[in-house]
Amino acid sequence: MQDETNAADILMGDVVRLEDVLSRDSVTSVCKSFFGLFGLPVRVISHEGDLLADVHRDRPLCNYLNNFGNGERECAKTVGIVRDLEPDVQTLIHPCFTGAVYRIVALRYQGRPIGRFIVGPYVPAESQGPPASLTAVDGAIDATTAQAHFETMPRVREDIAEEISAHLRGVLELLVFSGHRAQLASTMQVASVRENYRELAEKNEALKTSFEELKQLDQLKSTFLATVSHELRSPLTSIIGYTEMLESGAAGALSDGQAEFLGTIRSKADQLLGLISSLLDLGRLEAQNLELRREAVDPHALFSDLASTIVPTANRRNVSLDIRVDDETPKVWGDQVRLSQILLNLTDNAVKFSDEGGAVIIRAKPGELDAPGASGLGAALFAASRPAVVLTVQDSGKGISEQNIPRVFDAFYQVDAGTTRVHGGAGLGLSIVKQLVDGHEGAIEVTSTVGKGTVFTVTLPAADDDA
Amino acid sequence: MQIDFAAKELTVKLVYYGPALSGKTSNLRAIHWLGTSNACGELMTLETQNDRTLFFDMLPITVNSGSGLKVRLKLFTVPGQVMHNATRRLVLQGTDGVAFIADSQRSEADANREAFLNLKRNLEENGIAPERIPIIIQFNKRDMDNIRTDEELEIIAQRSREPIYRAVATRGYGVMQTLRGLIRDTWAKLEEDHQLEEKFGISTIRFMNEVEATLKHHPGQRER
Repeated sequence: MQDETNAADILMGDVVRLEDVLSRDSVTSVCKSFFGLFGLPVRVISHEGDLLADVHRDRPLCNYLNNFGNGERECAKTVGIVRDLEPDVQTLIHPCFTGAVYRIVALRYQGRPIGRFIVGPYVPAESQGPPASLTAVDGAIDATTAQAHFETMPRVREDIAEEISAHLRGVLELLVFSGHRAQLASTMQVASVRENYRELAEKNEALKTSFEELKQLDQLKSTFLATVSHELRSPLTSIIGYTEMLESGAAGALSDGQAEFLGTIRSKADQLLGLISSLLDLGRLEAQNLELRREAVDPHALFSDLASTIVPTANRRNVSLDIRVDDETPKVWGDQVRLSQILLNLTDNAVKFSDEGGAVIIRAKPGELDAPGASGLGAALFAASRPAVVLTVQDSGKGISEQNIPRVFDAFYQVDAGTTRVHGGAGLGLSIVKQLVDGHEGAIEVTSTVGKGTVFTVTLPAADDDA
Repeated sequence: MQIDFAAKELTVKLVYYGPALSGKTSNLRAIHWLGTSNACGELMTLETQNDRTLFFDMLPITVNSGSGLKVRLKLFTVPGQVMHNATRRLVLQGTDGVAFIADSQRSEADANREAFLNLKRNLEENGIAPERIPIIIQFNKRDMDNIRTDEELEIIAQRSREPIYRAVATRGYGVMQTLRGLIRDTWAKLEEDHQLEEKFGISTIRFMNEVEATLKHHPGQRER
């Protein structure tokens, strides 16, 4: 495993330790196959001196010499020296007192020593026989026995030994290369994931901060709207009150001209009051503290209430109204005042945007409302739908283009700014409708054909039969 | 740069940066193929199935200086695709010099600019001041149609802070000149910052002669 500190070394693309990139098992397998092919013992040692693989068979000569005190000591000494030799050059050949030799080959990677391997002991094929040092090491050694064991040692010509060592070096360096490549890939993978995570975490933090700021701003806006609306309403109520008093003749008789001007003042003041009330409603709805007093509301009552309010406006604009409640339409489970507001806002819009001589059709009919979770995972566990009342308000206006439809419920949004000048309004009506429908756990949809008109469909939960 | 005084060894990191498909890996392949004797190690590529660089490519070059100093040059490429920015930033860590491989095609001018801005941003994020690090620019793909003309590059070179090189990396043209230029500028900067001549007794001119000798093409002499 790599810790944080040597991740930097790895990013420099260096092998830190041979053990990190070479598995002991795979090195041992290669050495075993080498031993099987050539019968030569082989050991692989890292630059730090750790033995990574050791494949050999005890030789009768070595076993024999180990029976003698001096023989055993000399053997151990030679093995110790060979093990610690790190060649400056590519290959070192170290002789043993027995006449055998060890071939020590340096392993280098990207210009740095990373370890070595030792081939041997073996007897060079060119050798004429055991040297005198074999028996001289301990007086008790029997020359004939030693000679016989010497003959069983593996024999290799030095040029062949050179060639097969070069081959083994190539194989081991290739293993190091592959191991290093895999190590770099996995380290980079982890480092990249970590870096991406860090970057994302920073961005998330920044987003969170701006979200909090926006929320505060939104809160400020709502508070501001509520305060201003409230402060505006008080003087406006006085204006309307005094205007009504003047109109009623409380301050003396009025000429026709004065009465007409006062009528205009009152109608504009009413309009302003309506706008301010809408702002207050929206503020409350956005703060989600609008209380709904829900009861079973008869759609006939809603529609007759609506008709009495809207008919004068429709007549003025020469727009015909077709208001009908279908048979079997259940009662709505809602707040009567708010339901009236929904219908009034929609119908008022419909009349406003219908051309002169146009028609507005308002319907109530039975329907169904998808229950929460009715589609998707686990749908079998949810009631698919519940009874509902569908209210549609259809106009014959110029319609809304497809790209504008998603924004019609945004507060202060006007599809066509020009209509504001003609018809008045601040773009709050539909926003309030949407919030009220949501508050009733209902749904609202808009379909529109440019040039033909728009249909708003509001689906609201029906009251239970016994309600 | 890493200095190992005991081993008299210097490791210098050089990064090939640039927009996607501008020829960064092609540069390293050409160096590896033209590179010589046993100075060049194996080219290591960490790439995806579509032959696009996923993490980086790495080519080690060892220069054994006559003064006994061993200089290991590590050449890296970054992944050019926009989505690999985190990896690019990681590879850029601790770099001593940058070769920016630009695509000569006119249609790639925006991609070149974007990648260069990205290089500046990533250097800064790694705590490296872009104006304090040697950067050279290579206009690659000189064999394509619809490229900036040589005359245009002349004009660009005159007002450019960074030296401009031209190349056709897939055929090896201009690749070694770019590398030598990058090494020269990087070494000069390292000399200025670390007084290498004073510490290791090797002048910039002598070192460049040794680089020159190391990179000289000797066909058939490659070893692992």
